Amino acid sequence: MMEGVSRTQLRLLAVALLTGVLLCGRLAVAGAASIEELLAGGLTPSAAPALLGPITSAGRVGWECKPERAASSARSREADLPPDPGTQ
Amino acid sequence: MRVPLLAALLFQLAAAPVAAQTYASPAPVPRTTSAPALRAVAVKREIEERFTIGLQAEARGDWSAAAAEFERIVALEPAEPQGSTARYDLALAYANLQRNADAARELRAAIALDSAFLAAMANLVSVDLALGDLAEARKIADRYVALAPESARALYSRGIVALQGGDAATAREDFGKLLHANPSYALAHYDLALAEERLGRYDAAQRELESALGLAPTYARARFALGVVLLRQGENAAARNAFARATLDAAGDPALQNIAAAMRDSIKNP
Repeated sequence: MMEGVSRTQLRLLAVALLTGVLLCGRLAVAGAASIEELLAGGLTPSAAPALLGPITSAGRVGWECKPERAASSARSREADLPPDPGTQ
Repeated sequence: MRVPLLAALLFQLAAAPVAAQTYASPAPVPRTTSAPALRAVAVKREIEERFTIGLQAEARGDWSAAAAEFERIVALEPAEPQGSTARYDLALAYANLQRNADAARELRAAIALDSAFLAAMANLVSVDLALGDLAEARKIADRYVALAPESARALYSRGIVALQGGDAATAREDFGKLLHANPSYALAHYDLALAEERLGRYDAAQRELESALGLAPTYARARFALGVVLLRQGENAAARNAFARATLDAAGDPALQNIAAAMRDSIKNP
């Protein structure tokens, strides 16, 4: 009789431990996932550039066409890119 | 009395040919009486006038009026460069009316008419990003970089598209090139750091973020990213400090401020 009870208790204890381990594991994974999601939420790329402005009927060719110049310039300040924070 | 009157009459007669010479020159006689040719002249004139009116409307932010003018020009099917330019200007009006799908269509048409129209490519990448069409944004950005490999906007645009599309290697290359010509552009240091972080190169990412913060000390997003990179390297105390500072600097960005505060609070003091 004592043997039977102790076996049942042992089985219950084992199931409880296993459940505990599984729960902890799942919680840990969920916690890690939520932290990664949190981090990903803050690690977003900078904004896309704003649209370049209108062009006259003369077309894009020539020095007078500011949007086309901005599109081809090697300098970030002439390219109408998003400004650095604190410089707006 | 008769002598002054006679003198005045003589003076008037003498002055008459001089006055005739001051008349405005008459309008040139049309060189043709052909109806199609006259119609073509009228259409050309209408296109010029509508461009002027449309650009004036865009300058004052009346995008509906501008769209109507450029739609009419497009319907008149002008020759190049006015055909591609009208579509470009129409796209600008549509984008400002939140009609991004229509804007993208007009920009594609402009590029089809003028295959080296860089401003149209630049705007199409931005419109595609707004639409969430990463596939077309990448295709156009690749073409833009191929045509203008030194262009700061081409490199920046493709770098952003690559980061959003999960191509950290291309983003790293583009922001690296952009910084080679523009070493004091803090945003490019930040985006390069994101690419380095995604490639698991935390030292390089930290270096870029420190450069960005050296150029723009209150750059909250860069401060937050520095916290992440430090955390990944096991430097918990330094990471916590970075998140705390990002929480303060992100006063104008409540979403980032909340995330930074949550990260700061998730790291226990040693």
